[in-house]
Amino acid sequence: MADSSLVGEVRARLSWAGLKRAPIRYYLAAVFLVGLALGPTLGGMGTLLMLQWTTAFFFVMFVLSWDFVAGYTGQVSFGHTLFFTAGGYTTAALNLYLGVDPLLGILAGTVVAAVSGLFFALPALRLGGHYLALFTLLPPLILVRIFVIFSDYTGGSGGLSNPEPLLEAGDFAANAQANYYLAFALLVGIFALLWTITRSDTGRILTAIRESTDAVQSSGFNPAKYKVYSMVLSAVIGGLAGAVFVHTPVGSASPSQLLDLSLMLEILLASIIGGFGTITGALVGGLFIFWGLDWLEGVEYVLPVIQTPVGEIATLLFFGVLLLLVYFLEEGILPWSYRQGNRVLSLIRGGQRPVATDGGAPDGAGDAEGVASHEDSMDQGTAGSDAGRDSQ
Amino acid sequence: MTTDGSRSGPEESGGADPLLSVRDLTKQFGGLTAVEKLSFDVYDQEILGFIGPNGAGKSTTFDCVFGNYTPTSGTVRFRGEDVTGLPAYKMRQKGMARTFQTFRPLDDRDVVSNVGLSLVSDRLLTLRGLFGRTEEAAIEVCRRVGLEDDLYKMPEELSHAGMIRLEIARAIATPPELLLVDEPFAGLSDGEIERLSELFLDLRDEGVTFIVVDHNMRGLLDLIDRAIVINFGELIAEGSPAAVMADETVQEAYLGGEEI
Repeated sequence: MADSSLVGEVRARLSWAGLKRAPIRYYLAAVFLVGLALGPTLGGMGTLLMLQWTTAFFFVMFVLSWDFVAGYTGQVSFGHTLFFTAGGYTTAALNLYLGVDPLLGILAGTVVAAVSGLFFALPALRLGGHYLALFTLLPPLILVRIFVIFSDYTGGSGGLSNPEPLLEAGDFAANAQANYYLAFALLVGIFALLWTITRSDTGRILTAIRESTDAVQSSGFNPAKYKVYSMVLSAVIGGLAGAVFVHTPVGSASPSQLLDLSLMLEILLASIIGGFGTITGALVGGLFIFWGLDWLEGVEYVLPVIQTPVGEIATLLFFGVLLLLVYFLEEGILPWSYRQGNRVLSLIRGGQRPVATDGGAPDGAGDAEGVASHEDSMDQGTAGSDAGRDSQ
Repeated sequence: MTTDGSRSGPEESGGADPLLSVRDLTKQFGGLTAVEKLSFDVYDQEILGFIGPNGAGKSTTFDCVFGNYTPTSGTVRFRGEDVTGLPAYKMRQKGMARTFQTFRPLDDRDVVSNVGLSLVSDRLLTLRGLFGRTEEAAIEVCRRVGLEDDLYKMPEELSHAGMIRLEIARAIATPPELLLVDEPFAGLSDGEIERLSELFLDLRDEGVTFIVVDHNMRGLLDLIDRAIVINFGELIAEGSPAAVMADETVQEAYLGGEEI
């Protein structure tokens, strides 16, 4: 497709008729984003809430960086915290010990993260599946021990003290607001980048690698190029997020915030529950995990029989809920809602499945959302096993 | 259909340079020699049958020729250029395509998208494909191989013959000069073999050169111009299909086993 026709496509989508045809989920996403953008200024969002959202934004960035490489290329890493740590600790240490400006430090941290991405990417060319998962699991574990041994310099399990902030905006509330917008902008940028890559031709090659590298080779593409690219880009994004994080009021260069295995587990859960390999699902899953736990912790209702407030056993209950979700909602929250939403729409519109009119058409009028495998198969109306099961 | 003389074989090429030239190809796995000093040529628009009993080293040979393995020694020349040891995707870019005997579909997408993969952009950052796929070309290829009724099926919904067609569709999506088809007729009915053979002959008329690998001559007699027979990694016979079938060494190789 030539660039001029791309411009034409964009124009067509943004025209009145194009906007009217756009799927409802785009509107929902737009409303949600505008809400988050206006929240602190017009919406009267409190300072504490702003700080919580800021933390949530960074968590989502971590989930996005993982979902991009694991969900799309099938290079499942259990050691992404290495990237966040590479970014965060590098810039914090540079600032604390050498007085390096946070902006330069963040740049340096991102570069170090990219190098650590190579450290994963090269073995990933030879190792696959659970061998890769195990290989990547170990470096963060080793790093935590090293931090403890050299705790004079690294702060051990407590982490480094806070480096200079990247942004300062007067009083505490203004500061929180500035950092909220910083994190929000970074998140939107990262999301837009990953969304574009995964929905473009590149995304089709990345998912093909997950399915069969022989097929990718036979189609004339170098799987190694795309594997290294996706792993290193993922590391860059994770490292950048980690580096900026430590220069905000909510983050610090400490194992609990950047390196611990429990963080890795939360990221896995968020991506899988949101919808593995969809990018959008990582966003939804990340927010769901973050706010779900937060909300449960605040519930004061005392459970009968065991006489315990919900808040006190929030983690236990939450993990229980996640267990059920993973089991019964294998495909993830977002793909599931997408499918259910389509069913409801088709009922409203008179019993015809809208996906059938949309997907079967070979004119490319089908939607560009569907790189994620589940959605794609549904768009074609081919009744993949999931869709078939549910519509009966 | 006639079995000899009517098609452009090596004889008619009048000493033209071969499209593919393999010299002293050897592949060892540890102490085991799977292919030993194998040499052969393939000429433009020829359909070459590459025959041998199970375990003769056919697949290993072509894994080496097409870059899935690196040969231990020997050279592979394509259009006179030394391509020995290049990775498979580079071979594809140079015009050599192959199918796999054990299919390699992309199970997460429909037939058109499987075929369309060859047609997507190879750039790391691109906006191409963002607004839906440009499917027309892929659909045309599917029609070509007889998958027009299966365009939006998932690979797992395809029949065995459909799967073979999908492999071929992917191989010809960007037109190759040399196409290796690995055991295309295994498990097919005679009618299906005939339809597939017609497709190969059509493609050949358009300029594609073929190597058809199989463990026996079933379906090949009317298709191929020339046959090469190997056993234990070595060449044992070469010539017209009828001649190699009559060859004593060949018959011995198949003795007690399957039919040639």
